[in-house]
Amino acid sequence: MSIPADLKYTKEHEWVRIEGDTATFGISDHAQEALGDIVFVELPEIGRSVDAAEAYAVVESVKAVSDIYAPVAGEVIEVNTLLESEPEKLNTEPYGAGWIAKVKMSGNSDELMSDDEYTTFLEE
Amino acid sequence: MWGMQVSELLKTPLFDAHIASGGKIVPFAGYELPVQYKNGALKEYTAVREGAAGIFDITHMGQVRVEGVGALDFLQYVTTNDVSKLVDGQVQYSALLNEQGTFIDDITTYKINDEAYYLCINAANRHKDVAHLQQEATNFDVTVTDESDGTTLLALQGAKAQAALQALTEIDLESIGYYKFSRGKIGPTGGSAGGIISRTGYTGEDGFEIYIPNAIAAEVWNALLVGGAVPIGLAARDMLRTEMGYALYGHEISDVVTPVEAKLMWITKLDKGNFIGKSAVETRKSEGVKQRLIALKLTDRGIPREHYKVFVDGIESGEVTSGMHSPMAGGVALAYVKPEHAIEGDVSIEIRGKLVAAERASLPFVRSNVKK
Repeated sequence: MSIPADLKYTKEHEWVRIEGDTATFGISDHAQEALGDIVFVELPEIGRSVDAAEAYAVVESVKAVSDIYAPVAGEVIEVNTLLESEPEKLNTEPYGAGWIAKVKMSGNSDELMSDDEYTTFLEE
Repeated sequence: MWGMQVSELLKTPLFDAHIASGGKIVPFAGYELPVQYKNGALKEYTAVREGAAGIFDITHMGQVRVEGVGALDFLQYVTTNDVSKLVDGQVQYSALLNEQGTFIDDITTYKINDEAYYLCINAANRHKDVAHLQQEATNFDVTVTDESDGTTLLALQGAKAQAALQALTEIDLESIGYYKFSRGKIGPTGGSAGGIISRTGYTGEDGFEIYIPNAIAAEVWNALLVGGAVPIGLAARDMLRTEMGYALYGHEISDVVTPVEAKLMWITKLDKGNFIGKSAVETRKSEGVKQRLIALKLTDRGIPREHYKVFVDGIESGEVTSGMHSPMAGGVALAYVKPEHAIEGDVSIEIRGKLVAAERASLPFVRSNVKK
């Protein structure tokens, strides 16, 4: 189970990379493994405003439909259109080519977990 | 079927083997069964579709033995298909209806001889089916015995199925035709026993269903794995059957639809004499139906799922009964719509509040490779 140290995490198993006021969202290795083979991703519209913990994307595995929640609030400025043709990148590279969206942050990131806190959370 | 209390769940004799292969166990039809193994449903699907062989634990299916001089008359009365057409060693797809003409279950009938048959029934319907059959049997010279608990049922499906299984049995598999079966010894040296092998399945690939005593289940399973077969979970099994458009009880067929709506008149022989549900089916046929089963393929991106609404020319017409992402055909679905929408009109499926365009498709969605 991979949990990179340079990312922050949520209890819903999303990760976020914060660089200045830009935040990149994805799902954790644990999440992709629990979902199983991902076969479809519905990305948000560019320009959409999302609140923290709001569903901003949908990921479908062979058997299930899952909402993906925004780790922080912001406006969507970029989406990973590669996932429309290669949704399996969410399984194979959840922290790399499988990123989902980038937002211009409008809120704070106080609620997020560090890698150590997320590791502990997964063990509980 | 999903979400039953864990305490009520049964394990098949292969439970430990599933765990050993990394099976992710879920409750299904009263059993703890693997939804997938460690490599995931897509790789399992690919193994079956693209030239290997997949092995499925379908022990949850029930087996009922019907014996006696009245066996033929009894089965003609309780099943929809024409049992008199069967020769010894032949299998027939059929159904049990109630007096309303709706489905109690869909089944396969195995003819051993004129006075002995096996019925293979759905796990979730087992107790209902057996009670119904035993009730009806009181009017015939026949005994109905539920033999499910002592029997393990495996399916071995895919292009390499025959080679993998031939190494484990004295039965000449090449001589078993489509929807035929043979009895004989099955299993590795030291772990073999008498069983049944039929050239049947639920995937659209060549392959077999194998009935063996529980005592040798693990030996046979492990020998097939050593022989190169890939274990297949419930998720891939559902993908494979949906691509073929095969009905699944609780989805396309249930106690609210008759064979007329479900496109199963080909197993319902109205000219064979009286049977349970016949007059109701005739009435439904002459008076017309309120819904019809159709096959749909999305023309835009998306995955249809069970219970999603189907619209025709902007009017809500019915709902999806089975839907999936087919690696070969894209978003595909089986759905009930109003009869006036079965042939004509622009079809779409509502996915998360948006209408996604679809078109009517012919079945199967992908090419069948069964050896007919």
